[in-house]
Amino acid sequence: MKKLITLTINKRSYELAVAPNKTLAQVLREELNLPGTKIGCGIGDCGACTVILDGRTVNSCLVLAVQANGSEITTIEGVAEGQNLHPVQQAFVDHGAIQCGFCTPGMVLSAKNLLDRNPRPTESQIREALSGNLCRCTGYQKIVEAVRAASGAAKK
Amino acid sequence: MKKYSIINTRLQRVDARAKVTGDARYTDDLSMPDMLYGALLQSPLAHARIEKIDTSKAKKLFGVSEVVTAEEAGLVKFGVSPARYDETIFCSDKVRYIGDEIAAVAAVDLETALEAISMIKVDYEELPPLLDAFDAIREGAPAIHDDFPNNIGAEVHQEFGDVEEAFKTCDYVRTDKFINKKQDGAFLEPQSCVAVYDFNGNLTLYTSTQSPHYVQRTLAMVLGLPIGKVRVIKPYVGGGFGPKAAANTLELAACLLSIRTGRPVKMTFTREQVFWHSRARHQFFHELTTGVKKDGTLVALKNTCYLDGGAYSSFGIATIYYAGSLLGAPYKLPNMKYDGYRIYTNKPANGAQRGHGGVAARAAWEQQLDIIAGELGMDPVDFRLKNIMQKGDVTCNDFNMSSLGMKECLEAVKNDSGWTKKKGKLPKGKGIGVACGFFVSGAGFPIYRSETFHATAMIKVSEDGGTVNLYTASAEIGQGSDTILTQIAAEALGVRYDDVRISSGDTDFGIDLGAYSSRQTLMSGHAVKQAAENVKQQILEVLSGKLKIPIQDMDIKGGVIIFKKGKVDFSGLRANYIKEHRGWTDPPAGDYLTFTEAARIAYLEKGVVVGGGAYKPGELGGKYKGAAVGTSPAYGCSAQVVEVTVDMETGKVTVDNMTDAHDCGFAINRTNVEGQMQGSLSMGLGEALFEEIKFDNKGRVINPTFGEYRIPTSLDMPNVKTIIIESDEPNGPFGAKEVGEGAIMPTIPAILNAIYDAAGVRISELPVTSERVFMALKKNKK
Amino acid sequence: MHLLPGFEYYEPKEISEACKLLSELKASAKIIAGGTDILVNMKKGLLIPRYLVGISRVPGLNGIEPENGGISIGSHLIVAKLVEFEIIRKKYSLLSKAAAVLGSPLIRNRATIGGNIITARPAADLPSPLLAMGARVKLKNKRGEREVSLDAFFKGPGQTVIKPDEIMTKIVIDEAPPFTGGDYLKLMHRRSLEIAIVAVATRITLDGPNGLVKDARIILSAVAPRAIHAASAEKALIGERPTVKLFEKAAAIASTECTPIDDIRGGAEYRCAMVEILTKRTLTTACKEAKGK
Repeated sequence: MKKLITLTINKRSYELAVAPNKTLAQVLREELNLPGTKIGCGIGDCGACTVILDGRTVNSCLVLAVQANGSEITTIEGVAEGQNLHPVQQAFVDHGAIQCGFCTPGMVLSAKNLLDRNPRPTESQIREALSGNLCRCTGYQKIVEAVRAASGAAKK
Repeated sequence: MKKYSIINTRLQRVDARAKVTGDARYTDDLSMPDMLYGALLQSPLAHARIEKIDTSKAKKLFGVSEVVTAEEAGLVKFGVSPARYDETIFCSDKVRYIGDEIAAVAAVDLETALEAISMIKVDYEELPPLLDAFDAIREGAPAIHDDFPNNIGAEVHQEFGDVEEAFKTCDYVRTDKFINKKQDGAFLEPQSCVAVYDFNGNLTLYTSTQSPHYVQRTLAMVLGLPIGKVRVIKPYVGGGFGPKAAANTLELAACLLSIRTGRPVKMTFTREQVFWHSRARHQFFHELTTGVKKDGTLVALKNTCYLDGGAYSSFGIATIYYAGSLLGAPYKLPNMKYDGYRIYTNKPANGAQRGHGGVAARAAWEQQLDIIAGELGMDPVDFRLKNIMQKGDVTCNDFNMSSLGMKECLEAVKNDSGWTKKKGKLPKGKGIGVACGFFVSGAGFPIYRSETFHATAMIKVSEDGGTVNLYTASAEIGQGSDTILTQIAAEALGVRYDDVRISSGDTDFGIDLGAYSSRQTLMSGHAVKQAAENVKQQILEVLSGKLKIPIQDMDIKGGVIIFKKGKVDFSGLRANYIKEHRGWTDPPAGDYLTFTEAARIAYLEKGVVVGGGAYKPGELGGKYKGAAVGTSPAYGCSAQVVEVTVDMETGKVTVDNMTDAHDCGFAINRTNVEGQMQGSLSMGLGEALFEEIKFDNKGRVINPTFGEYRIPTSLDMPNVKTIIIESDEPNGPFGAKEVGEGAIMPTIPAILNAIYDAAGVRISELPVTSERVFMALKKNKK
Repeated sequence: MHLLPGFEYYEPKEISEACKLLSELKASAKIIAGGTDILVNMKKGLLIPRYLVGISRVPGLNGIEPENGGISIGSHLIVAKLVEFEIIRKKYSLLSKAAAVLGSPLIRNRATIGGNIITARPAADLPSPLLAMGARVKLKNKRGEREVSLDAFFKGPGQTVIKPDEIMTKIVIDEAPPFTGGDYLKLMHRRSLEIAIVAVATRITLDGPNGLVKDARIILSAVAPRAIHAASAEKALIGERPTVKLFEKAAAIASTECTPIDDIRGGAEYRCAMVEILTKRTLTTACKEAKGK
């Protein structure tokens, strides 16, 4: 039987009736027309579905929507402010950290969350923070450089 | 080299902002009104005859719109190469691997579709599965395909020079074996498609593909649709790497269901299904015999390769040739013999994957060359420098190195990595290794015999003069082709980067063979350049008429008209333009006539300002059988130095450093080229150390997940140093040639050679897991 | 694979309500904590519970509090906090070290300490350090609460002594004696998103800063149906002076005490050999740490 839940997503409140067996990823993509959150594997192995849930990055394919009732969620659609890219996004664009773009939403959210908690991470900490997000295109090199740049670190 | 304003830069990708904000729509993000969801019934058995299929229960399930099998789909054969069309949409007489498609259902939602799938009853007569390539070619093995009773789907025998005679003149000859494992493209976005058949009989397929053109042809051919009624549109694609370069059953089934229901149908693979579908890296069993003179001169190579092809041919007919032909360079090699056998087995079909048939062969040979160099007491870099080809050389198999920066690449990585300081001087457990490689810049021939152009492009300048619209059927799959084609158009026409708007990946826009064999920069680039120059010519012709100035005294650059011979009075033209734009608050001003004004004037004169370009390679070498595979208008090359640490107790290999130099002819976008190099190295590292598809004894893939099929994470990749070498390729637009696949070639052998340097063991079986190294070290101690 | 089967979901507000619910639903209900294990198995079709009960928001299950000089950790505390909380990093560092290599940062933000215990996977990361620290778990049901030593908790892969109507509420760890050190080494293919090929958790207590070994725990995982003590190796250390030779001797014994299988991540012979290497290395580190205290 469907349950009535309230989700605050990108600072907007949504009241929805969802079946218990719908994941947060499915609800975002199918019910709320927010397809920026991607599904790469569905079982938490790739991070393409990363969202920020109550301040922490999680695989939204492994969160039941009903478990997120009352929570605050940031998806990739909520990172830019209007036409203004977040510094992490701008850095990704400037440093060539995007190729096919499928891992990008997850990477941006993991990077943003890292910098929100640790504004001056070492390279090792950056790689650690991104280690749940797989990328097949870039080899991570320019992604790491972008996050370094966004953190204000001097170029190596 | 000439200085350009738009190309050879680090301009932002045209699609970066869409991707970084989540705005980019990939196929599974698309939704159509009244859309149905499709699911596939796939074989649970590796080899069986189909006795009966009963779909009656499934058809009656509430919410199901359509159920189709081979009966509705028909039996038109398809594949990649017409010479090996060996697939039908659905199996009719037998299933040939676990995952082989038998039926499809369209329903109101995915849950219902999957439930209907579970209600389809199939009666099988199980046949013995052939899971080992060598079992499949044994006497008495059952035939997987009736047309190939000995299960050898393709066989190649080539000899250039005389290898046996040449070995007699050698001072040192050695033979080594090498095997890799079946691997996967592991792109992050699973295949997905949405088929829309409208009430006018037009079929439009949105699909995550590398080649809208090949998919379009296959759909029309197999579904029996009239030419001209099929359109394929590629939305954003989350990586391809080879497996998405041909049509698949997902696409054909979705189209069939849409045609029969009259509604849009969406079908998306789960990650598990992506592994079952495969069409990825073959397993290669190589035996190489190489002969040299004692001064290190390479004389002859004999290469025998057995390819485990899986259940269908896919790109395999090309793979089998590449496994031999791609050793013809970058070293001078006068004698080369190649015998290849592609074997059918009851496992998911193998196809093309980054570097195609050349990756395993290159890994095997570059390691063997290192062994040989060691036996001769030569430094591995010096050994290679001694043998490398130069620009203008032609390989024994007729590949013309119209440009070849191999020496520059090798010297660059030698110097940058500190090779001389490190080689032979590192402590035990630390090692440094080198390797080289090369690759085609586009296959010289399309996969179907034809005189077709390989790429066409159209440029239409907007009537208001403000936008240059570039239309190309080429496929942006993440590699950056949309960006570099925009740059080429802007540079060749003379407008600014932001003035060009590219629309791509749609078969309505022209012909483009797609993103495979590293062809688009060179081939699509040529077509775009031509179209842009054509448009420039048209606009200058109009201006020439209006201003009474010869065309050769004018140019377009940076979005303005350049008058080469002194000042020209264009005030009349400007006045007309301003008169037409009464009310605008930003009239054109300044000393230069803008492109916008000129384009507007051209429209007023001509009505339509459209330019076209079309490219196909010229006459390419090789009149021998199979010459088509490997001939190319140009070849990229690369060299790599890798440093590793081997934990001598656990066998764990850590790659500490990678230095890569790649000759891409001319970098249209330097950032993009570096990105392709870094990505190639990452895939090479994964294939070297972690990646392998594993089967159980029934033929089931037992690791169809990213948890157990391991691609490198951010903690597994070291920092990579990329060096761009530009040899100025005469056959490439602005001198450009490939980078997308060539850069992976040296990676695996550079790692293998570094492991030997660190730990004293040669590993000739991939992946090099810590267990494999441990066992080798243990054996070494005895 | 990627759709979840249907089920009913309950989210009781209090622990007593949760216990009552479980006593009614029994085996047809499963607790969902972080979901990183249970939802994967449900998507793969390996588990089809009729009811899922979520108790993450029930008070008392999410925090840490002192208990008799030691610590009591709520079963629903996420693994990430085992790394972030200073008190765990400082006083129960063995647990932090293991938590830090579990899965990925995304998994650690959802997976719970209780979940990682209750799923009883032979290669799980948290049971072995907890066993090395002599941890106990509190199990509560409608009738009351009991405490079970972790040594007696695991029966086999996916099997524990917990009853269908019981909820794991706390994990209790006693304070370590002075001159105690520990280490956890996990042999993996990649450096993230990995299940252990072999892992060893070691805890050593010395009888003084340069003393003899007073207590030794060597826990091996991924080499048996559940995490096990290398009991003979542990015995061989007691009362001895901690030297490199002693560690090598104990490590060699430890490698004979496991019964690994060949599986998707590695072969049995290799695993036994790695038990020896990892035991030696963790003993060395644990001892160094013990001396430092």
